[in-house]
Amino acid sequence: MVKNMSAQKKISKTESQSDIRMKTQDLSAFYNNDQALFDVNLDIHTNKVTALIGPSGCGKSTFIRCLNRMNDYVENCRVTGKVRLDGFNIYKDKVDVILLRQKIGMVFQKPNPFPKSIYENVAYGPKIHHLVENKDELDALVEKTLKRVGLWDEVADRLSAPGTSLSGGQQQRLCIARAIATKPEVVLMDEPCSALDPIATARIEELIAELREKFTIVIITHSMQQAERVSDHTAFFHLGHVVESGDTEKIFNNPEHQRTKDYIGGKFG
Amino acid sequence: MIKLFERRTRIAMDRAKKKKGPFIYKSYSKKPKHRWVKKRKAAERRFRRAGFIAIAISSLFLASLVWNIVSSGRSAFTEAQISLQIEFQADLVEQGAYRKIVQNSLIALFPEVEDRKEKRALFGLVSRNAPHMLKKLIEENPALVSTKKDIWIPAASTVSVFYKQRLKEQSKRGGKITASHAAWITQLARSDRMQLKFNMAFFKNGDSREAEQAGVLASSIGSFMTILICIAMAFPLGVATAIYLEEFARKSWFTDFIEININNLAAVPSIIFGLLGLSIYLNLFGLPRSSSLVGGMVLALLILPVIVIATRNALQAVPPSIRYAAAALGATPTQVVFHHTLIYALPGIMTGVILSIARAFGETAPLLMIGMVAFVADVPKTFVDPATTLPVQVYLWASNPELGFVEKTAAAIMVLLIFMVLINLLAIYIRRRFEIKW
Repeated sequence: MVKNMSAQKKISKTESQSDIRMKTQDLSAFYNNDQALFDVNLDIHTNKVTALIGPSGCGKSTFIRCLNRMNDYVENCRVTGKVRLDGFNIYKDKVDVILLRQKIGMVFQKPNPFPKSIYENVAYGPKIHHLVENKDELDALVEKTLKRVGLWDEVADRLSAPGTSLSGGQQQRLCIARAIATKPEVVLMDEPCSALDPIATARIEELIAELREKFTIVIITHSMQQAERVSDHTAFFHLGHVVESGDTEKIFNNPEHQRTKDYIGGKFG
Repeated sequence: MIKLFERRTRIAMDRAKKKKGPFIYKSYSKKPKHRWVKKRKAAERRFRRAGFIAIAISSLFLASLVWNIVSSGRSAFTEAQISLQIEFQADLVEQGAYRKIVQNSLIALFPEVEDRKEKRALFGLVSRNAPHMLKKLIEENPALVSTKKDIWIPAASTVSVFYKQRLKEQSKRGGKITASHAAWITQLARSDRMQLKFNMAFFKNGDSREAEQAGVLASSIGSFMTILICIAMAFPLGVATAIYLEEFARKSWFTDFIEININNLAAVPSIIFGLLGLSIYLNLFGLPRSSSLVGGMVLALLILPVIVIATRNALQAVPPSIRYAAAALGATPTQVVFHHTLIYALPGIMTGVILSIARAFGETAPLLMIGMVAFVADVPKTFVDPATTLPVQVYLWASNPELGFVEKTAAAIMVLLIFMVLINLLAIYIRRRFEIKW
């Protein structure tokens, strides 16, 4: 038994060195007694964009919140199974959730910048994780991060203005900047464009394409076109099950399951 | 807009007539002049009018209250003073017989008064505090001994009230005053030896048995010391309680129980808290009676539930998405509260706290229970000195039958109301200045 476990560990170690960054094993989630996720096994590949698609209430958001343990905040939510980050089960008792969330950033559906200055919004994460030594380093990090999300030119002269004074698209890019400022490995995005207009959406999609080089991205989206445009892998959720997952191209062009085909074809959802 | 509706209605009616289909408006009105539109408009008008009348009535009440207080209290800010030629005779100063000095100068002014009884009445013209004033003057400036000097001395409160009323109404009535007093006052006024001056004593003194010497300084300072203690105790306790209940405690029957109790406490009559303070702070802990320390602690009990409720509401107003954002960045629950939730809720908390402090400021009943109703002539220096507060001072003066205290009462109410308005303005300013719109 013990041997078996260590063998398993070894396997996951080797996996982590390859291109799988996160992996869920028999992940189930319950709200009170209602099961929201059923034994989800999904691999999330390093420096790739994984899109989660599916109709509302199919468990996408529950799943993505399992990945950084945000479900801890939801009362009566229980999670079983394993979520491995680089082969390490994040649901073990000894795991420090704080460090975990530094490694896994998150961007929410509605832009939710802190009502503090733009600078503070970006600097907050690095500050609480002591990622910088002094003010100069922090300044440099804020500038670098804002440049990376393409916001620097727009806000360089008003870094002390409140983050809430920006437009919706800018706010969402600020939130992305805030999430990547802690130098995470994985960035989770829960419908980041659903509150934005098409132009802002296009801007965010470009950004995702750029960020892919540095980060592993998991994105929930309701737009098939968006999933097709930005993602490398796609997982189709339905009623708490992963119906199908794999390369985006394959899912969209040649799905195995009828339900996937129907959903992508717009027959339901 | 309305016209468009009318046209549409007419079109609908015409169409209905042509088709001979069911005419839906028919059941409402006999005339085709669509009565329901009129009815709806009338209802709108009626409601608007009712609201206007309600506001008018309450403004009327407020205006009459303010007018009443101001008209009867305004005169307290001035007092009649009599100019006496005082001769500081060296021997009398040495004996400390300042009363005699005052009396001498009064007799010098009215040499015709000889009767003993009349003389005593004459001495009653000036404040009983006059000898103390002279003594103070000599102590400050010893060079005055053996000199003569014209000095303005406050008149007795009855004289003062009579003089003011006569000035106002141009008649001889008013005040309980003897005929000879009236004659003297006339004489003094005619020779310009009696004048109205600004009443500094009202702002410089504590309470006094003599109305002309009674002031609000001691009670104002007492009020502020009491409030200071009250804030120091209620603010951290209340805010900490609210933060724990709102942000950390898991919902259970126990937290529900606490919540119900807090809401009930906010509705408990204030005198009950006074009794609680009496039995616990004074009898059990043996803290000093009628001190601002105990007063503040009792008021803290009183406003604690209000602060808890206000703080919880302010915390609830911070959207959960902000908490999630901070938590997803890896902030600990404590960091989420102290870096974000609490900061963003602070304007709301401050508003609630300030308003509850305004309530504590005007509270009287519980303070009576712990002996703050005592006569306090001196400004309290420490938190354990006997003290009184403004509203208690109002209560004390209002129950004093002496005529001079009527205007003092109204004036003290004015001072109290001014403080109240200032506190409320501060609350409004903080809300406007720091409020965060989500």
